Amino acid sequence: MTALLQAEGVVKQFTVRGGLFAEKRLLTAVAGVDLELFPGETLGLAGESGCGKSTVARLLTGLIPATRGSIRYAGRELSAMDRGERAQYRKDVQMIFQDPFSSLNPRMRVSEIIGEPLAIHGIGNAAQKRERVASLLQRVGLTPDQLSRFPHEFSGGQRQRIGIARALAVSPKLIIADEPVSALDLSIQAQIINLLQEVKQDLGLSFLFITHDLSVLRHLSDRIAIMYLGRIVESGRRDDVLSRPLHPYTEALLSAIPSIDPAKKKTRQIIARGELPSPLSPPSGCPFHPRCPYAEEICGELRPELLEKEPGHRAACHFSETIYRPK
Amino acid sequence: MPPLLEIRGLCTEFRQKAGVLKAVRGVDLTVEPGETLALVGESGCGKSITAASVMRLVPPPGRIVSGSVLFKGEDLLALSEEQMREVRGNRIAMVFQDPMTSLNPVFTIGYQVAEGLRIHRGLESGAAEREAIAILAQVGIPAPKERIRDYPHQLSGGMRQRVMIAMALACGPELVIADEPTTALDVTIQAQILELLDRLKSETRMGLILITHNLGIVAERAHRTAIMYAGEIVESAPTDELFGNPLHPYTRGLLASLPEFGTPGEKLATFAGSVPLLTGAFAGCPFRERCPIGDERCSEQQVEMKEAGPGHLVRCLKAP
Repeated sequence: MTALLQAEGVVKQFTVRGGLFAEKRLLTAVAGVDLELFPGETLGLAGESGCGKSTVARLLTGLIPATRGSIRYAGRELSAMDRGERAQYRKDVQMIFQDPFSSLNPRMRVSEIIGEPLAIHGIGNAAQKRERVASLLQRVGLTPDQLSRFPHEFSGGQRQRIGIARALAVSPKLIIADEPVSALDLSIQAQIINLLQEVKQDLGLSFLFITHDLSVLRHLSDRIAIMYLGRIVESGRRDDVLSRPLHPYTEALLSAIPSIDPAKKKTRQIIARGELPSPLSPPSGCPFHPRCPYAEEICGELRPELLEKEPGHRAACHFSETIYRPK
Repeated sequence: MPPLLEIRGLCTEFRQKAGVLKAVRGVDLTVEPGETLALVGESGCGKSITAASVMRLVPPPGRIVSGSVLFKGEDLLALSEEQMREVRGNRIAMVFQDPMTSLNPVFTIGYQVAEGLRIHRGLESGAAEREAIAILAQVGIPAPKERIRDYPHQLSGGMRQRVMIAMALACGPELVIADEPTTALDVTIQAQILELLDRLKSETRMGLILITHNLGIVAERAHRTAIMYAGEIVESAPTDELFGNPLHPYTRGLLASLPEFGTPGEKLATFAGSVPLLTGAFAGCPFRERCPIGDERCSEQQVEMKEAGPGHLVRCLKAP
């Protein structure tokens, strides 16, 4: 099966200044990411704040250009697309954002917000647009009488529904959702997760789901990629990664999640020491080695490559085999 | 001996043009020394206003209209403002959610941690600074001697939260109220901060009110848990009992909606509707509209708390 979206060695660097007269420095937000997303699949991308996962989302949607590396959509290189291909790509790949408060224009009515992508891509006449917007609104669980309202009249969960309707408007093939439920209350979170799941199944969409919440990730993803300091450190099928992690960072993330299940309480332990290093001065060798409980000398010297350790299960660790030897 | 903190019938209202918003509607809570009480609920349920009421820091136009807050038997609501200042930050301290907006950006962290020591203990600035260094070391800030000259923006989120905790602990409070202390932090840092709070608590026997919406944190850290909905405590019990045997339909619904308990790929349980408006008069159970088991009786009468088991209280007519 060919990948719908494929990233190879993607790097994104930003120039930052510490202050007015400070020297410019290069911040490597994404330091060489390989990802594949297959049709109809949900890939979950997880990591802590500052690991570069949102930058990956912006790169893959074409909102910002990559510094190096290749991003291919349906086999075509993003940077080599002509206008027509690019327009098609921008229609096929839609995004849902984290904050339902800042991602909807407060001066636009719901009908305008959902209708805007249709207008931009020149789809349908006025009557068809109205009909499409009304049916989208119903699809996401809102009612047609809410069409002429403004975003401030809605709760967080309802706004996220509007954001989803907007993403669905132009019948995309792939949706990139950046933390779509983390700003929502618990009971609302479950509603939105169900809605995402529903539209995915009904419309046969592919999903790239970005989150720091591993329990949400487990619920929604087919495959999972774990990111740390601009790199993928582990990727594989959901159950492989979550039940038999092959990278110490994944293990640390899993053990740090407070669990309600009393059985999990007993075995957990905290192993990640210290804090996320600054991407302005990343550690030498393996980016995780200063916090890693298993680190040895080589980890500070040589950066481990992301290698296939088991079928379909890749990890970037020198000692995966010895630490996580099958019992 | 009276409990460390005993809240009885606390009511806090906000008078607005649109009407009176009853944010806290008769809350009863008790905290013993060395105990962690978790106060859980969704946004707008009144958990932060309950905490602010204990500290008598309810923002205007809010005011406490009735009830009592007994701290070691003494009613905080009856103290003068001057007496209350002696309690705040000294005997009861607070840790806020967002350390970036709760720390003063124009003072060094050393100055801010030492502030309470100068005011409440009357230490001169050199002694207060030495004490501040010791406390910063205690909360796990590396090289505290150098870091006390730093301003909040020079620290990471996790480090700022440690500074907030250091400020709260500076005067050796008997009770700490932590309002979403780790919500702004990453999970690996969250785990470190919660470990820290637990360790400090076991060293000092202070009581801790942990306000959060994260049920995982509650299950792991709290001795007792109170679930709040629409300004009321709807259920409270020892934590293991609450999670093992939830009785209120709201508690049950919350637990069922967690992705942790769902089967991957299948639907999560949800509630219909949303939280009711807290303005105006209320008849009956505020959860009635969303409740899967409610009937007419629930809309008619005020529902009282009842004891369902040892230490297990629930506010529901239909609960067993």
